[in-house]
Amino acid sequence: MGLSELMATYGRNYWEALLSTWGMTAFCFVLVMALAVVVTVMRVSPFKPLRLLGDGYVQVFRNIPGVALLIIIVYALPSLKLVLPYRACVILTVVLVASAFGSENFMTGINTIGVGQIEAARSLGLSFGQMLRRIVIPQALRTTVLPMTNLLIAVLLTTSIGSQVPLDPLELTGVVSYINTRATGGILAFAVSAAGYALTAVVIAFVGNRIDRKVRIVR
Amino acid sequence: MSAMPSTSQPVSIRDALYEAPGPKMRAKIRVGTAITAALVALLLGFAVYQFWATGQLNPRYWMFFTQMGTWSYLLAGLRGTLAVALTAGGIALVLGLALMLGRTSGIRVLEAICRIVTDFFRGVPSLLLIYFFFLVVPQYGIRMSSFWMLTLPIALAASGVLAEVFRAGVNAVPRGQTEAALALGLSPFRVKLKIVLPQAIRYVIPSLISQLVVVVKDTTVAYVVSYPDMLQNARVLITNYDALVSTYLVVAVIYILLNYAINQLSVCVARRSGTRVVSRYSTNPA
Repeated sequence: MGLSELMATYGRNYWEALLSTWGMTAFCFVLVMALAVVVTVMRVSPFKPLRLLGDGYVQVFRNIPGVALLIIIVYALPSLKLVLPYRACVILTVVLVASAFGSENFMTGINTIGVGQIEAARSLGLSFGQMLRRIVIPQALRTTVLPMTNLLIAVLLTTSIGSQVPLDPLELTGVVSYINTRATGGILAFAVSAAGYALTAVVIAFVGNRIDRKVRIVR
Repeated sequence: MSAMPSTSQPVSIRDALYEAPGPKMRAKIRVGTAITAALVALLLGFAVYQFWATGQLNPRYWMFFTQMGTWSYLLAGLRGTLAVALTAGGIALVLGLALMLGRTSGIRVLEAICRIVTDFFRGVPSLLLIYFFFLVVPQYGIRMSSFWMLTLPIALAASGVLAEVFRAGVNAVPRGQTEAALALGLSPFRVKLKIVLPQAIRYVIPSLISQLVVVVKDTTVAYVVSYPDMLQNARVLITNYDALVSTYLVVAVIYILLNYAINQLSVCVARRSGTRVVSRYSTNPA
């Protein structure tokens, strides 16, 4: 099957799948950032139980394989009287896993600031809120641009676990197996999806690098 | 990036954020700790209650874990997982090193090719590569065992990341050393082999170990090609004992402990050799 024939027959499926992957990636990443902030705040709070919960969360979800978590959410949670639609299961899996890595990125960003700066801020009479707003958060954000760019690419790639459950519309990985069960799509059927992922990743990396070069703190 | 804060005693940054608390603040923190402890306990209690209320704590779901047969079957699956992970890791190590050497070879065409290959394997999900080996390769009449249908795509996906890790290691070797060696009359090839690579590889060993976590995670889609890894064997146990929740939970805990151990090993090696884990390349959750 040539490229023109493939696109004439399945072009619509590919387009919908690409939009589905992009949509899930963007939606997940917003939730990932929000949850990562919450977890990070818990981990730097002065309350021991919250710190332990935050640390435990990160250790569990950065070490569990995404597919295993998806299977648990899809098949085991209904036994505990919690049934979610398939797309919500995929999104929940991606968000839980990626937010653990997001929190790690934030912690690394905070750790690069250095105790000396905190002490200096305090000697200058800055309040705790001022210190967070003016010293900690801006620097932490600027040093996490590159890791978060990589995390966004990772979220894009992780949405491929959506191919393991029935989704409508399919996402980019699922559409390859869909086409191959109907026709012998050959290497092209795979290459179209692969290009969709790789080009998106290249664009994300390019933009991320641009932003990073602008805001990076050279120490 | 930056060095660690160079205080005489290592203060954790999360503690440095706060001033030494006075008596009033200490009282507040005590109250806050009590409240949050109660909330966390409530959360965990609710989870356990939900298990109990839906009958998942029934012994019949858990008793078969006291039998040796269950564990030997799961361990057989774990052996399958490790066989794929270690083989794929070994292949990725060689491929990644080759891609990095090509990309820093100074030959324009080779550099461009290696760059495209690296970016491709870094930008494509391993699951898609597995579907390629599972669905597409057989269409061209190539027969592969399920082991290789799983191992090769995982190795390819990892090689793209490892190439970047190696490159970070090469970049970490001070340029002055290369210049000094060239000035002493060593050929560029010998400079790379004798001066740059030994240091670069030692520098990235912790990052290489932590990449093994990603490889182990990738093996969990073994059921796509019906290769008997731990998750696949867990599915068999589930149909035999009709105990879905307990089996999946136990398997998840094993995966978490295994990956946690790998991560700790990487941190430990990093601390002993005084290097950092190149974390910007290991933020791959999949």
